Amino acid sequence: MLSQIVSALGVVVAAVIACSAYFYFSNKILDLALPVKDGDIRAASRNLNRRALIRPWLFIGPALFLLIVYLVYPVVATFILSFYDRAGLQFVGLANYKWALGDREFRQSIFNNILWLAVVPAACTFFGLVIAVMTDRIWWGNIAKSIVFMPMAISFVGASVIWKFIYEYRGGNDVQIGLLNAIVQTFGGTPEVWISIPFWNNFFLMIILIWIQTGFAMVILSAALRGIPEETIEAAVIDGANGWQIFWRIMVPQVWGSIAVVWTTITILVLKVFDIVLTMTNGQWQTMVLANLMFDWMFRGGGDSGRSAVIAIIIMLAVTPIMVWNVRRANRELKGH
Amino acid sequence: MKKSFLMGVAVAALFAGAASAAELKFAPGQDAKFNWKSYDEFKAAHADLKGQPLTIFGPWRGEDEAFFMSVLAYFTEATGIDAKYSSSENYEQQIVIDTQAGSPPNIAVLPQPGLLADLASKGFLTPLGDDNSKWIKDNYGAGDSWVGYGTYKGKDGKEAFYAFPYKADVKSLVWYVPENFEEAGYKIPTTMEELHALTDQIVKDGGVPWCIGLGSGGATGWPATDWVEDIMLRMQPPEAYDKWTTNELKFTDPAVVAAIDEFGKFAKNAKYVDGGVAAVASTDFRDSPKGLFAVPPKCYMHHQASFIPSFFPEGTKLGQDADFFYMPTFASHPELGKPVLGAGTLVSIAKDSKAARAFIDFLKTPIAHEVWMAQSSFLTPYKGVSTEAYANPQMKKEGDILTSATTFRFDGSDLMPGKIGAGAFWTGMVDFVGGKSAEEAAGEIQSAWDGIK
Repeated sequence: MLSQIVSALGVVVAAVIACSAYFYFSNKILDLALPVKDGDIRAASRNLNRRALIRPWLFIGPALFLLIVYLVYPVVATFILSFYDRAGLQFVGLANYKWALGDREFRQSIFNNILWLAVVPAACTFFGLVIAVMTDRIWWGNIAKSIVFMPMAISFVGASVIWKFIYEYRGGNDVQIGLLNAIVQTFGGTPEVWISIPFWNNFFLMIILIWIQTGFAMVILSAALRGIPEETIEAAVIDGANGWQIFWRIMVPQVWGSIAVVWTTITILVLKVFDIVLTMTNGQWQTMVLANLMFDWMFRGGGDSGRSAVIAIIIMLAVTPIMVWNVRRANRELKGH
Repeated sequence: MKKSFLMGVAVAALFAGAASAAELKFAPGQDAKFNWKSYDEFKAAHADLKGQPLTIFGPWRGEDEAFFMSVLAYFTEATGIDAKYSSSENYEQQIVIDTQAGSPPNIAVLPQPGLLADLASKGFLTPLGDDNSKWIKDNYGAGDSWVGYGTYKGKDGKEAFYAFPYKADVKSLVWYVPENFEEAGYKIPTTMEELHALTDQIVKDGGVPWCIGLGSGGATGWPATDWVEDIMLRMQPPEAYDKWTTNELKFTDPAVVAAIDEFGKFAKNAKYVDGGVAAVASTDFRDSPKGLFAVPPKCYMHHQASFIPSFFPEGTKLGQDADFFYMPTFASHPELGKPVLGAGTLVSIAKDSKAARAFIDFLKTPIAHEVWMAQSSFLTPYKGVSTEAYANPQMKKEGDILTSATTFRFDGSDLMPGKIGAGAFWTGMVDFVGGKSAEEAAGEIQSAWDGIK
């Protein structure tokens, strides 16, 4: 343990020194290569211009390099791998894609992912917005907000473990220790093994993510609501609008941009959902989602890099349009201001 | 200030390193039940490897890791090799990552022949040589079976011996509490027919015969595969079992479906299982044997491998508070003899070196087995060990089952491709217990198998 701390400290120090050295010396070299001497004014100004052109690249160079090595290269490699066999040695053309289309588990994962996409972003945004509006009016609003926000601090695996206990089932006449079953029993119902009921168990898993992410939606939307000019609401009140009308006709249209941000952010998160399913069911009882299926094909029983690459590409294709739209919108907003 | 702090850290790090070198559990040469001669001979033969590095990656964690470290201490003491053991919660995934990334450990220990065969076919393992396979054949109970489980096709398509079996489990066991059996006047069944009769008798007497738990986190379902495999060996000849594990005999074959249905007779009858059928899939396998020890007992029998006493309530004395009997065979199939289902870990070389070879040689010494045997949770089919070293009479009984086995068959799900044996088969069993018919469940497993061909 101690030796790890020592080496970690060493790495941090060395990295900081190396970075500073890189910027210092690369700038020095640039200055030497393109000298600005008093003698030749034209050459000096030309060199000065060139320096200004090159210097930004020196600064973003390392970041660009890392981006290519860790992001662009893997995407390209994955794409190429998706046309090769399980060991990545033999070219098999579109066979892996063909397999995916015909595979029962793959189709089920797509179906489950769509289910997640339909429910989770909508639910998070809706609850986030409602809580943001309601907590604005009450004196203990900030306390309530903190409580709603708290699950954000818990890791997905940690949250899953907590919810596993909520859904826990004990057989026969044993005392139910799971919260949900205890409640059901109190009201005279029969306890169920919640996470093994096909189709509905998907929703029990989604609740976990909603529980975690509602806090995020609430914080963003709460800030947006603060930005609504008081006058518009006052005017609406004077015109005789009721609370419902104020919410839907005045508030929601004004925070529409923020709602879109929250929605898309959670959508991307949902497409990557992995930890919750792994911890709760590992895809059993028909809860498989794409990310888990990819992991499964890559690493279980020796792995099949071709098929897992296909699934990775499909996840990427699903995420890309949302990312592009998000970036474009952000750019537009930046230009607008 | 800063300097002295760093010095302190460095000194502490030094001590931490020194403290991790374990001491020998049993002083060499003292206890006569150990085969110290083999240790001395090994020491004399491998004195020239001092200071060489050796990395070992294996599935043993927690208690088992401590046991293995105590064995490894003898190896490092004898050779001076700088051996380091590591493990991972997801060791199956980790070894795939490590080998593909080109940084494999010297020694890879895995409990799955299917996975090892896969690694061998990609050229990640080094053949151990014919002398080692011959040694296993001559010295292990049912040696031919064991050699078979370590022999795979390499990248060149040629078969070779890649994995050395070390540490085994016996799976064909039914655990019970002798006191409960005595009180109720039940006798140990010697045939499957008697086992069925006993099951019915217990229900008639107002009890619950079985505790079955398939829960195991992401691996939920595997205990059911053990049931089905055990039953397969009792309804079909071993050749059919072998064909089943390679899918020459399809999952949808009536023979396999019948075995699944036979398991269903126990697991899918609400009167037979503690907590009802719904509890079977959701109860954790580690929790399920606890019903045996409840007062009054929640169940009378529990089918599980030899490792399960680790999960018995603390202080349980084997042989007294809990015992086992051999999962009986059908009187209607006398030709099948007494087959034993088991499992084990297999040691292979992923990065060849002299030190790695020395480690394989070390596993051939009785002392490498006896040190662990004496501390529990270790069985071996090696006939050359002194069985006096076993920690208790129950383990000796289990060890005898292994060394005297004529038909030994490895856990079928570990022989199947990982996607089936550690995936579709589990899911299929979970679905089967959840309400699907044996035909439906088998059909889905088969279609998954068709999908990976």
